[in-house]
Amino acid sequence: MKNFQQNLKTLEAADTQVLGVSMDSPFANKAFADQIGVTFPLLSDWGGKVTHEYGIYKDEYHAARRVNFLIGKDGKIKEEQVDKDAIDPTKIVDACQRPKLKN
Amino acid sequence: MHRTRLALLWASLLLAMMAAPAIAQTKDDSSMPKVGDVAPDFTLKYFDEGKLKEMKLSDYRDKKNVVLAFYVFAFTGG
Repeated sequence: MKNFQQNLKTLEAADTQVLGVSMDSPFANKAFADQIGVTFPLLSDWGGKVTHEYGIYKDEYHAARRVNFLIGKDGKIKEEQVDKDAIDPTKIVDACQRPKLKN
Repeated sequence: MHRTRLALLWASLLLAMMAAPAIAQTKDDSSMPKVGDVAPDFTLKYFDEGKLKEMKLSDYRDKKNVVLAFYVFAFTGG
């Protein structure tokens, strides 16, 4: 989450909204956001419906895996990062800046 | 006595083999949307300025790109 916060200005300049999603309650997410200084919304998938719909529920953790999706204005997925690769969001930040995604 | 034990062993082995694929299937969801797929729409709650709010993914359609960052749990860093 912090990595996206650090790149937030670049992402916003590229017309991109960042949304964090976890299976925590909205209140836990708010406290988490305040603690680590995240200013974008952390959405609460309480019950895990969306996490299951995106196919990233991990039994081992009883929670979601770490996955980043970049979704274009047409609603289609442009980039994906999974597990360890999802820690460094450079690929997604770069993709947002590609001209075709700016339109 | 010996034969019964052996039969029991075989039975438990067979049971384990039958159960294995079922375990493998429930381990992870394998149906992650791929690059190029339409992202499934959702409505989720979040807390902002002291209020519980809702947002829909489709609210951003034709307006903004969206980064969806799924993370394991709050307070895990990253």
